Amino acid sequence: MLKITNFSKSYKSDKKAVDQLNLEVNSGDIFGFIGHNGAGKTTTIRSVAGVLDFEEGDIMIDGISIKKDAVACKQKMAYIPDNPDLYEHLTGIAYLNFIGDIFQINKMDRETLIKKYADEFELTQNLGDTISSYSHGMKQKLAIISALIHRPKLLILDEPFVGLDPKAAHTLKTIMAGLCKEGSAIFFSTHVLEVAEKICNKIAIIKGGKLVSCGTTEEVRGNSSLEDVFMELIEE
Amino acid sequence: MEITMKKVMRLVSVQLWAVMGDMLSIGNNRKKKPKMLYAGVLFFTLLMSGVSFFYSLMIGSGLKMYGSLELLPAMIMAVTCMIILMTTIFKVKGTIFGFRDYDMVMSLPVSTGVIAASRLIILYALNFMFVIIVMIPMMIAYGILAKPDILFYIISIVSLFFIPLLPIVIASFLGTLIAYAASKFRHSNIFSILFSLGFLVVIVVSSFFVGDNGKELVDMSKALTRQTNRLYPLARMYTNAVVNYDILEFLKFLGVSFVAFLLYTILVKRVFKKMNTLMMTGSYHVNYQLGQLKTSSPFKALYFKELKRYFSSTLYVINTGFGILMLTIGSFAIIFVDLDKIFGSTQATDALVKGIPMYLSFCIIMTCSTMASISLEGKNIWIIKSMPVTPKTVYLSKIAVNLTIISPAVIDTIIIGVVLKLDFWKTIILLLLTITCAFFISFYGLLMNLLLPNLKWTSEVVVIKQSAASMITIFSAIGYIGIQFIFNILIPSAVLATLGYVLLTVVIDIILYVILMNYGSKRYYAL
Repeated sequence: MLKITNFSKSYKSDKKAVDQLNLEVNSGDIFGFIGHNGAGKTTTIRSVAGVLDFEEGDIMIDGISIKKDAVACKQKMAYIPDNPDLYEHLTGIAYLNFIGDIFQINKMDRETLIKKYADEFELTQNLGDTISSYSHGMKQKLAIISALIHRPKLLILDEPFVGLDPKAAHTLKTIMAGLCKEGSAIFFSTHVLEVAEKICNKIAIIKGGKLVSCGTTEEVRGNSSLEDVFMELIEE
Repeated sequence: MEITMKKVMRLVSVQLWAVMGDMLSIGNNRKKKPKMLYAGVLFFTLLMSGVSFFYSLMIGSGLKMYGSLELLPAMIMAVTCMIILMTTIFKVKGTIFGFRDYDMVMSLPVSTGVIAASRLIILYALNFMFVIIVMIPMMIAYGILAKPDILFYIISIVSLFFIPLLPIVIASFLGTLIAYAASKFRHSNIFSILFSLGFLVVIVVSSFFVGDNGKELVDMSKALTRQTNRLYPLARMYTNAVVNYDILEFLKFLGVSFVAFLLYTILVKRVFKKMNTLMMTGSYHVNYQLGQLKTSSPFKALYFKELKRYFSSTLYVINTGFGILMLTIGSFAIIFVDLDKIFGSTQATDALVKGIPMYLSFCIIMTCSTMASISLEGKNIWIIKSMPVTPKTVYLSKIAVNLTIISPAVIDTIIIGVVLKLDFWKTIILLLLTITCAFFISFYGLLMNLLLPNLKWTSEVVVIKQSAASMITIFSAIGYIGIQFIFNILIPSAVLATLGYVLLTVVIDIILYVILMNYGSKRYYAL
């Protein structure tokens, strides 16, 4: 579903934020992407989502290069950034309907899925309010709902659990597992190693822009905990 | 006390640099800050000072011929105050109330009074810079023409510090009222937009009719000065102080300005937290029930999203919709007034008819929402960039919104054609002018914003009014009207001159469209 090949990205300075990254996420995978601050997680995720331009390497979504056909790639995926900055002047429902129009979701599916996910995240009663009145957690929930209503084949999330209350975090984890059972793939970054260890079947650890470990959760952690492995790798 | 002042000044310096950085659109590249900022500020200062000096010299020379040079300081001062008033109304929200880094600043270990003071000083500093840029060149021009006593310079320089005070106070009251109403009631932005537009229209229209009985510059200046003195007594005090060296009037001028600002400062300090909280808290509607949803195409969805964004900001509407409003008022006004009576003769009416194409293109070119539409995406840019839509669709939706805003111009043009009894082909040429200019400014504004985006702004006022993209778009577009003026001089036939200008604009429209869809698409991914 997602194949990153020899991907490098540098900003204006010579130092590479991400250097020769290779990884693959298949249908049904919940792929955790771990690294400390500034390791290159967000740069990678933003490039996969088509938000950031890049020169070296390639990113394929369901066999299509994002460089060659960005629109086709974006039609298959959904992205939620680490900070859900949404259109503050719109109401929650207007934003969801806007996303529905952009992804051309039919009327019936749109109404059904908005109801389903808004109820699950307990946001239905606030959908008539403008987003400017939402708390950070409510905005995060709205961003998640907007990502789910078009049934993406690939869901890309940057720190999705930040700002969510424990119940909403649990709901999201359940939905993520359900999506993968249906054949979608999830690629997400997190600092919460316990969550990664619990829900991911694959994990990659990035340090200084380079992949230092990648494989199934069992392969990466071996006989230790993910936290021990992570600390060991980043201190090397 | 000393520590408090240090805190205030530290806050002012940090926030003022941020505002000026935003103004020059270096928000996307903070490393460029010092060099670009200094160069930008210097260029802007020199340009504005030069314009002010030549205006003052020209008007002053005219007044001197009629022995009324003493009107010059008051005229320039009144214009300065009027500009401060009009611009500050929309700076209040974003500078004193409802600014974006409010949470961060309020969490600092400084008192609310210190923060409120720092915000007021920013507002004062921005306006004071403007006063210096306009008034000092006027003083030099007046000095050259009138060769006044040294006392003129002393009084004028001291007055500089006090000139912006009262306009700031008046504008702040009006601005706060507008911003508060907009934050309090649902759909109240319409009220806010109408109120603001109405206020501006009253100012502009009343300035048209102020010179009641004279055609001569001096008569008009005298009438204008009389009117200004009646409306704004501080202008009279200022004139008496700087021209007649009346120390009592000078002290009155300083006293009124200072006391008004002092009272205002005390009031702001008291209501600062309360007003900011009120403005940042939206209205809640509990128990929303999901109903039927309307579906539309991606283009339509983007178009309506953009249109809602446009009408969600009073500042955006006022600054980009004023041209079309003036055109509409003008075109409806000529239905009801006898032009021959107003302008005195048929020749004057003829001159007016010849000036119509330039008035049309000027009003249309002043209507440009696209020059800020990319920057206004701000932190939300990730939404459109991660969507399955091409840059072309996004651009066309933004262009379509500007064309919608300009669309009343088509009716205005037809009205002008009918009222001035233009023949069919002349009306068609005017319509072509309207349409080509509408496309020109929509394309050009968008291209400028793509070249000079600022996605890291903290207050939308700097993007809409003071960013490099907005300023360059407006100033260079006015320059483009200069080409129309040259056409009018070089080609004796007004019809042929307008037709030539229309053809040139068509060619430029095509070139701009091609650039936008090719180079512009590449810029989209680099944003």
